[in-house]
Amino acid sequence: MNNKINKSSLSQRRRDFNFLLPLASLRLTIALLSLSMILIFVATLEQVRIGIRGALAEYFESFYGIWYYPEKFWGGEILQDIPLPIPGGYLLGGLLIINLTAAYIVRFQWTFKKGGIQLIHLGIILLLIGQLTTQAIQEESRMQINKGEKSNYIERFHGVELVIRDVTDPAQEKVITVPQELLQKGGSHSDKAMPFTVNVLHFGVNCDFDFATAEKPRSPMAEIVNRGVGQSANLNITAKEEDFSSDALNFGYIIFELLDKGQSLGKWMSISHPAGNQVWSQMSPKLSDMGFQSIRHNGKLWGVALRQEREYLPFSIELLDIENEFYQGTEIPFNFESDINLHLEDNQTRRALVYMNTPLRHGGKTFYQYQMNDSANYSVFQVISNPSWLVPYIACVLVSIGMLWQFSFHLIRFLRKNSQTPQKA
Amino acid sequence: MFLNTYLKYHRAFFKFLLLSNLVLSFFSCSEEASIQSYSIPSEYNGPIVSWKLPDNWGENPDLSGPMAGSFHIKTKDGPQGRIGVMPFREQVSTVDVANMFGREMGYPTFTESSLAPMLQEKEIGSRTFEWLTLKAKSDPVSSSTRTALLALLRQEGETWLFPFIAEQKLVLKESENFIQFLNSCTLRSANNKPIIARSPPSENRINKPSPPRPTRDNPWTWEIPPTWEDGKASSMRIASLKVADKNGSKLDISVTTFPGDVGGLLANVNRWLGQIELSPVDQSSLEKYCSPFTIAGNPGHFIEAYGEKDALLAGALFLGKESWFFKLLGNRTLAEKEKGNFIEFLHSITPKPKQ
Repeated sequence: MNNKINKSSLSQRRRDFNFLLPLASLRLTIALLSLSMILIFVATLEQVRIGIRGALAEYFESFYGIWYYPEKFWGGEILQDIPLPIPGGYLLGGLLIINLTAAYIVRFQWTFKKGGIQLIHLGIILLLIGQLTTQAIQEESRMQINKGEKSNYIERFHGVELVIRDVTDPAQEKVITVPQELLQKGGSHSDKAMPFTVNVLHFGVNCDFDFATAEKPRSPMAEIVNRGVGQSANLNITAKEEDFSSDALNFGYIIFELLDKGQSLGKWMSISHPAGNQVWSQMSPKLSDMGFQSIRHNGKLWGVALRQEREYLPFSIELLDIENEFYQGTEIPFNFESDINLHLEDNQTRRALVYMNTPLRHGGKTFYQYQMNDSANYSVFQVISNPSWLVPYIACVLVSIGMLWQFSFHLIRFLRKNSQTPQKA
Repeated sequence: MFLNTYLKYHRAFFKFLLLSNLVLSFFSCSEEASIQSYSIPSEYNGPIVSWKLPDNWGENPDLSGPMAGSFHIKTKDGPQGRIGVMPFREQVSTVDVANMFGREMGYPTFTESSLAPMLQEKEIGSRTFEWLTLKAKSDPVSSSTRTALLALLRQEGETWLFPFIAEQKLVLKESENFIQFLNSCTLRSANNKPIIARSPPSENRINKPSPPRPTRDNPWTWEIPPTWEDGKASSMRIASLKVADKNGSKLDISVTTFPGDVGGLLANVNRWLGQIELSPVDQSSLEKYCSPFTIAGNPGHFIEAYGEKDALLAGALFLGKESWFFKLLGNRTLAEKEKGNFIEFLHSITPKPKQ
């Protein structure tokens, strides 16, 4: 009786959702999986040329990517100039979700017997959704702490912001940040929290910079700077493409003008150091003010800088000690270990040890041991913020349960059949 | 039962699934970027100075080098002069500061002894500034000479320099505003500690370079009039006394010594006249303010000068290898009242008996 109901239910669903039938096709699934394999192959090749981040951005975090056949491959001399569109991760992932969901609706029987298969596919749908969500909302940052000090903010690996700080009050400072998206748009930006308007004249995510000389004077872009470090250090900059390679150092730059009621206060230049603006003073005394270029305005002291996008946390981490171990006779790291105190919001303190593959999880963030400098006495954590981090685990549990269910069901049926069959003498 | 209920609502479930997909497909559209503002406990550990500017002063937004503040004077010919605030994170010597500006203005390199006669102490509000005026050597007579008025404040192991560089005329005209500006300054040192009004006692300055000290001990004894009190301690002075009345008027009495004749009587008298805003005199007019006076059995000079607000009474003793100055400076009315006490004080000076 139940079987009849279920079959009629599937027929009913097929009638109600007949437009989903082509989308639920198994051929489409095979085609999408094949295209996924091509995507992974192409992206792996391209990773050598443009780095992991570049390959991710070009092929996986997009609907399509353009690939040029490698010159060194067979027929490359002829084919290398032909742009080949490759379906991207968002397109294939999205279509796979639709394909699986459609199959769930118009192809699967919702019976107890087939429950395992349903669970396995639900798990795979969750896995795909989780991955898409992760790509959309995951943020990667770094936290650098000197031994004996504590820090309560993280800085993004990618993405800068123009920060304008009013530090007149010795107790607290007022911070105004203009995000990269607005800087890239250019134009004027104002806010009621700051007394001047920021007019972005030039902005870029990477640049080359050096001190101008008589032989190599400042470029027209740098020449307009008449205030701050750019002017005092006679800095020259030239715009550069963003470097996606794994060991890349991208120096974001900005040239901006501050205006008070339409009247120009001057034009400044600021460069963001990817390892944090505290590094500037170690590079050259002339650049030491790059992290805080002071501006006096209406009796208040302001400081401006371009820095890696920063997020303040409601808790802080104090670095008590660090340990740096290498495999004997090599420079291959064996263990990086940070002994820390986690100072919580409610004035409680938690002691923890962060080392390779054993991160600290707190406040929706995961702190992985990332870099360490034993001689300079600091440790760097890679901080991952991913609210959907549990989804892949749930998906795997669902797939496991589904497989157990399905195999157990078949096993029990087989054992039952086996026990009913009379044994031969 | 459960299955029947589920089948009953399966359409709603499908709709939910489709809606979820739609939501997810738009999920990557992040919220619009905007300017953020927030407050955090102060992370800035550099020096901070706040002040009240005179109405006719303007602020230069560009703070190059060690400047914590930079200003100009608004004139009908546009911005003129440059007033700065320079915090040093250590005790720099007055000689170094004087040479920093002196070389540019044509002075030979200063030494402690050559600088001493030019150096004054000025009490502004509750703080004491070292006060030095350098006039460009190229044309010392012309009133349009470039002049550097340097005010130095030493506190909490730091030195704050306030240079005022402009044409002499402008420096003289704006000197009152400059004093008001210094009085209005609130200073916060680089390590985030507020700077207190008074210098800490010298015993707290272990391991820090001290300012120039007198080269010898006091060889004199004297009798202090009952209305006088001990004044502010200073490494530049052999003795420091003060008088104040109910109206808030003050007199500052100091005993100082320097090697050599530090420019002689005329140069020193003209320097003191400048302190009470009187015009300098030449050798022939010196008698107007000076008269012979015996101090401790030695031939010396008594100087008496009255400005509009302030007055100066001084005893000067030039002993060849060294010079001694006994000086009273401050409110004119109070100075007139204390003149008798000051002359008695000068008469009471005798050499210390040898032990």
